[in-house]
Amino acid sequence: MESLSRRKFIQRTALAGGALFLLPKLEASMLSDNSPGNYFLKEFGIDESICQKLLAKALSKGGDFADLYFEYTVSNYLGLEDGKVNQSYGDISLGVGIRTVKGDQIGYGFTQELTEAAMISAAATASTLCNMKATLTLPSFNRLKTGNYYPVALDYKGIPANSKLPILQNINQKCFGLSPEVIKVNAGFQSSAKRVLIATSDGVLAEDLIPSGFVYASVVAERNGKREQSFYNLGGRRDASFYTDDVVNKVATKTVNNALKLFDAIQPPAGEMPVVLGPGVTGILLHEAIGHGMEADFNRKKISTFSTMIGKKVAEPFVTIIDDGTNMNLAGSLNVDDEGTPGKKTTLVENGILTGYLHDKISAKHYGVEPTGNGRRQDFQNYPMPRMRNTYMLGGTASADDVIRQAGNGIYVEDVSNGQVKIGEGDFAFYVSQGRLIENGKLTSPIKDINIMGNGPKMLTNIIMLANDLEFYKGGAGQCGKNGQGVPVAFGLPTCLVKSLTVGGTQQKGGQS
Amino acid sequence: MSYTSNNQKEFQELADWVIDQTKKAGAKDCKVNLSKRRFVEINYRDRKPEVIKEATTKGLYLQVFINNRFAGQSTPDFRKSTLAGFITDVVDSAKIMEEDPFRTLPDPKYYAGRTTSDLQLADPAQDELTPEGRHAMAKAVEDACLEQGGSKVISVEAGEYDETVEEFAKSSNGFTGANRTTQCWTGATMTAQDEGDRRPAGYNWVGCRYREDLPSLEEVGKIAAKRTLDLMGGKKIPTETLPLIIENRGVARVLYGLHDPMSAGNIQQKRSFLADKKGQQVGSKLLTLQDDPYLPKGLGSKYYDDDGFPAKKRDLFSQGILNEFLVDWYYSRKLGWEPTSGSISNLIIPPGTRSVDEIIKDLGRCILITDFIGGNSNSTTGDFSVGVIGKLFDKGQFVQNVAEMNIADNHLKFWNKLIEVANDPWIYSQARLPSLVFDSVVVSGV
Repeated sequence: MESLSRRKFIQRTALAGGALFLLPKLEASMLSDNSPGNYFLKEFGIDESICQKLLAKALSKGGDFADLYFEYTVSNYLGLEDGKVNQSYGDISLGVGIRTVKGDQIGYGFTQELTEAAMISAAATASTLCNMKATLTLPSFNRLKTGNYYPVALDYKGIPANSKLPILQNINQKCFGLSPEVIKVNAGFQSSAKRVLIATSDGVLAEDLIPSGFVYASVVAERNGKREQSFYNLGGRRDASFYTDDVVNKVATKTVNNALKLFDAIQPPAGEMPVVLGPGVTGILLHEAIGHGMEADFNRKKISTFSTMIGKKVAEPFVTIIDDGTNMNLAGSLNVDDEGTPGKKTTLVENGILTGYLHDKISAKHYGVEPTGNGRRQDFQNYPMPRMRNTYMLGGTASADDVIRQAGNGIYVEDVSNGQVKIGEGDFAFYVSQGRLIENGKLTSPIKDINIMGNGPKMLTNIIMLANDLEFYKGGAGQCGKNGQGVPVAFGLPTCLVKSLTVGGTQQKGGQS
Repeated sequence: MSYTSNNQKEFQELADWVIDQTKKAGAKDCKVNLSKRRFVEINYRDRKPEVIKEATTKGLYLQVFINNRFAGQSTPDFRKSTLAGFITDVVDSAKIMEEDPFRTLPDPKYYAGRTTSDLQLADPAQDELTPEGRHAMAKAVEDACLEQGGSKVISVEAGEYDETVEEFAKSSNGFTGANRTTQCWTGATMTAQDEGDRRPAGYNWVGCRYREDLPSLEEVGKIAAKRTLDLMGGKKIPTETLPLIIENRGVARVLYGLHDPMSAGNIQQKRSFLADKKGQQVGSKLLTLQDDPYLPKGLGSKYYDDDGFPAKKRDLFSQGILNEFLVDWYYSRKLGWEPTSGSISNLIIPPGTRSVDEIIKDLGRCILITDFIGGNSNSTTGDFSVGVIGKLFDKGQFVQNVAEMNIADNHLKFWNKLIEVANDPWIYSQARLPSLVFDSVVVSGV
């Protein structure tokens, strides 16, 4: 029974694997569902009885809690280079991860084979954490009802695989058409459909279908023998209907304009100065500098600089920070987290006061609070831990122009990448790929290729003005890394003035280099 | 060097079947890679296991070429009953790609010449590791770190990780390769209580092909604690132009910005500031960089590269002169160049004669960089900017720890500022690089 189901499933996948991207014109006839169902039962023969059996095995030597995480993901990538869509890559990921938890200890096993023998063996591996007798009685399952923050309107079956090539060809043509200075264009389309089933020893049974992907362009432009490059993407938890002509135009236009702007860019003077963070993607600073320090595992272990600050003032009263799994179609949105907790919205800082952390089930139990729905993992081969989803700061009352004027002399950051934080110190760095100088309260020369350094808690107290223009990062390529696991995230920020940060560069103040 | 095992025999039989089926499905050429990995990971915190993780993974990666059209796809499912549909899917995906005259398997003449020496990539004693032995390793490292850290310790996480990987690759035009490799890692990360709310975290993780080559577990733990305590009181100083020393284990981070633009892909795509620099002086005469795949037990050692070309020792830079690029098969065809291998193995800068301590005494005011944070390097322009953590010295005397600072430069200028190479190559990495000394770099702070 089981092997028949699975063979049928893989065969269906083989058809769908080459057809994960759809053209908008095909939408109407392709309505489908990602509502909770019995997907893993239908396709793999995973029923409640086998889940009970595996959980019992995982807890056979004791333990407080156990869970199962079944995953089936089909990923595809199409790449264009030198005018041709000449690369197609695909990957199938299938398996179950089994976790035994005792206090804050974790035993973990996984298998890529959904046979009963292989799964029991993985459960036995997880159970080696403990050396006592089983004490828990497993309850019957309750199927979790969740919100749907990334509806899938399209069924992938039966779509001609070659219908996806024109998206990349259009990006290529538009990029070259926008400027004769563009000399190279690369474009790519990454897409995946992830099915998960979560079963827990406290009786939760949850299923989800998670679409995700992005389309990107990368261009090199040349002017007077000098070359510059840029990259831009749009995506998130999106089905194929997202990738319209409008998206293609935005990706091409933004990528080319960003590259051309760099020909006039300079490096600002190095040292401490006021920094204005533009709206949107600069929220990566919020993610790196502050968000990681609010993940509860770091605080449970007392290694975060925020571990003694609950209930204390950490910012000016106009600062409110939220981590949210319920935003429609953003890269970090979650109908259900990877431990079976429904998607939620969590306030971290309210009117300047630190009100809570981001919890998985282990840290929630440690702190005696409800899980916040932040238990996330890269895939079935990894155990979950507290991770951010979509992290953002609410807007203020000023206009963006007011904020820039208030800065006086400093820099304005438009686009960033490669952020990193040292949790215990709170020190962070991120790379400014696009920005401008601020001189006498006005935006002037473009700047590029500099790093910004600071200390998260200090920066939070140094936010002195917010505009009323909160924007979110709308890409799908953003991955947050922690303990070797990558998960998709998004972030948002209004235009924001930080009194002082260290700007790296080769020019010392006063012109010395 | 030929390698056989039960897994390899199974791999060989499956690869032959996959190639046969793929050609029957319409492929002109194809290549299949098979792998199996067994790993164990044990972490300790507060003198008890925090994580015990163990599993075996496997993967099949199939590349299909049909009249200059290409597709590649991977699956963990080795059953022939399901692979049949998988193969059809990959072939169908290749058929819809646009024709690219450069997309082919390599010319088989380039497969010849593989070394027959034993690179000692797999520890024969790896299978002797027991669960108790692994726990004992993690405990010993944790104990040593806790003892050395003393009252400043907030948290110590210590661990052991080991893996055995078997790989097999075969192409339809004559390439066959097999490997068995092992690795064993151990180390600790410590968090300490500093002034105010600062809780600096330092670490020391080391790994080898053979477990017997690991340093003593006590030393591993003590160094983790010492490196953490060395971060205490880190503060930024005013922006200043100074000599700096990049510690051995951090050199690879900066060096990446120099060798990444040497790849033929970046050159052909016009994303390399080194594209026109072959044969030219790019760094000071102290910049000599070798790529040596034959280092016995080396973490980057290999018999053949991703294209199936026999690995070869290369002098990438000699006395500051850029000698050759990293050219794989596909981009060699696009550029009309001879392939040289597109990937690196063990990167080596020949060590100098003096220790870092001796060098610091002669440098006057200088910064020793012990870690990096964030940052990026632009392969098109050569500009880079990265956050740094380290120690400030003056005439050999320690002044203070520094944090929240940054260095920025352009690689074409930066490597000309290389004024000395220390005698301390970091051996627990495929980048076996010693500490390097640079003159006159802007270090940004207050």
